[in-house]
Amino acid sequence: MAQAAEKRRESPLLPMSDTRESALFFVIAALCFLAVLTAFSVRATYSAAEGWTANVEGELTARLSGSDAARMEEALGLIRSVDRVQTAKALTRAEAEALLQPWFGTQSLPDSLPLPSLIAITTEPGTQNIGPDIKRALAEIGLEAEIDDHAKWAENIRDMLTLIRLIAMGIVALLASIAIAVIAFATHAALLARREIVDVLHITGAEDQFIAKLFERRFSLLGFQAGLLGALLALGFAISLAFFAGRMTDWVWLLPSIALDRWALMIMLVSALLAGLVARGAARLTVTLALGRMS
Amino acid sequence: MTLYKPDSFDTTSISFDRVALRYDGTQDVFSDVSFELTKGSFTFLTGNSGAGKTSLLKLIYLALRPSAGDIYLFGQRTHHLKRRQLSALRRRIGIIFQEFRLLDHLSAYENAALPLRIRGQKERDYRPDVEELLRWVGLGKRLHARPATLSGGEKQRIAIARALVNKPDLLIADEPTGNVDPEMSLRLMRLFAELNKRMGTSVLMATHDKALLGSVPGSVLTLHNGLIVKQNVAEES
Repeated sequence: MAQAAEKRRESPLLPMSDTRESALFFVIAALCFLAVLTAFSVRATYSAAEGWTANVEGELTARLSGSDAARMEEALGLIRSVDRVQTAKALTRAEAEALLQPWFGTQSLPDSLPLPSLIAITTEPGTQNIGPDIKRALAEIGLEAEIDDHAKWAENIRDMLTLIRLIAMGIVALLASIAIAVIAFATHAALLARREIVDVLHITGAEDQFIAKLFERRFSLLGFQAGLLGALLALGFAISLAFFAGRMTDWVWLLPSIALDRWALMIMLVSALLAGLVARGAARLTVTLALGRMS
Repeated sequence: MTLYKPDSFDTTSISFDRVALRYDGTQDVFSDVSFELTKGSFTFLTGNSGAGKTSLLKLIYLALRPSAGDIYLFGQRTHHLKRRQLSALRRRIGIIFQEFRLLDHLSAYENAALPLRIRGQKERDYRPDVEELLRWVGLGKRLHARPATLSGGEKQRIAIARALVNKPDLLIADEPTGNVDPEMSLRLMRLFAELNKRMGTSVLMATHDKALLGSVPGSVLTLHNGLIVKQNVAEES
């Protein structure tokens, strides 16, 4: 008999999960799914936008007014001599026409139509605000130029990223508060459903902390498992979405891409851990408050 | 029959000093109850249905707080104790309920061992004692049975084992023979008397069965019209 007892594992003091906990599992998994998807979206958008701005931030376009071939050569030499300029290249008429194609179509433009003289300039990485320097240098030799350094566009992108980040933080905070409220509600319901067990534990000498820990352990494990499942589902969903979106459009380079790198894994793990911690904290608070109201 | 007056705390398990109890929005269950139970005593608590026996027991095991007056347990005034201190006091009390109050998802053995598990003792340390105790109450062959599969008498014996496993200073029993047959009732009374005599545990047993009152020498507390009266009784021959 003693040997048989030795092989038996102690039953948990709280009965195994019931339907309420299954519902809670689903809700936490769904919330984590949304939170991880939000985090993935923000990260992917951020990475994509960084790429867009990085592409254009190293490029400038100078548009010269009233210049002939000789003056163009002079301008090219001058621009190349400006500090931190890597290359300067005059666009051919065909290249300029290609730029205008979205507005004028694929047919060649009439030769009589004057096109501005354009110079494509690339700068060293990290170079900022070089446009006024180039413009000033050209003015010194009597050339009037308009420099487009795409700064306004990049600034808009950065503003947009800040806004996206704030919105994402708001969404994650909202999801976390929903999770806390739902877990608190479910813990309270579980406590009420197990009032008889709690009473018996109390009268046999269990302290509030002992009882609270039973609920904490149960709900933190549930939170972590549900969070992990939600995070994995979000990863699967994001990868599928990126895959199908890539097959459906030619503008795939514009779309945010999902990378299964250490950051993605970190987001998933942190979400699951947070779900477990939030569940643990909510359960602890709810049970401690409820026990305090009991005699 | 004499009205009881509080005495010294040195030798008392329980002392009530002008205790009143009123549930919210109702009349007093009792308004001015004072009594003392000495350590190692065997006391019956009796009274008509609704007299407040169960409420009085709840006050003793600290499931209720009095509306007025003071309760002392083992010489400690309970009024200002923190919840943690109340738990420590409860661990010195074994309680047997009429409706058993066993945990259905635990086995007989696990139910009996519950107070030790709560105290954080290792299972391998207490297992022999719990099994011996269950054998003593006649459940040696039903250690791993769930309460749902046991008879009323067997459940009551698990509840008794649970109440005794901690070697309590005070045993409170609320109508412990209410759900068992006369033969089992007699066996339980013998068990309580033996426990009281051998281990020196104070026993307070609520019962409305007047036939039990003389079965063990001790005293009788009678609740009547919100007051309590104490009377010493000798064992019936």
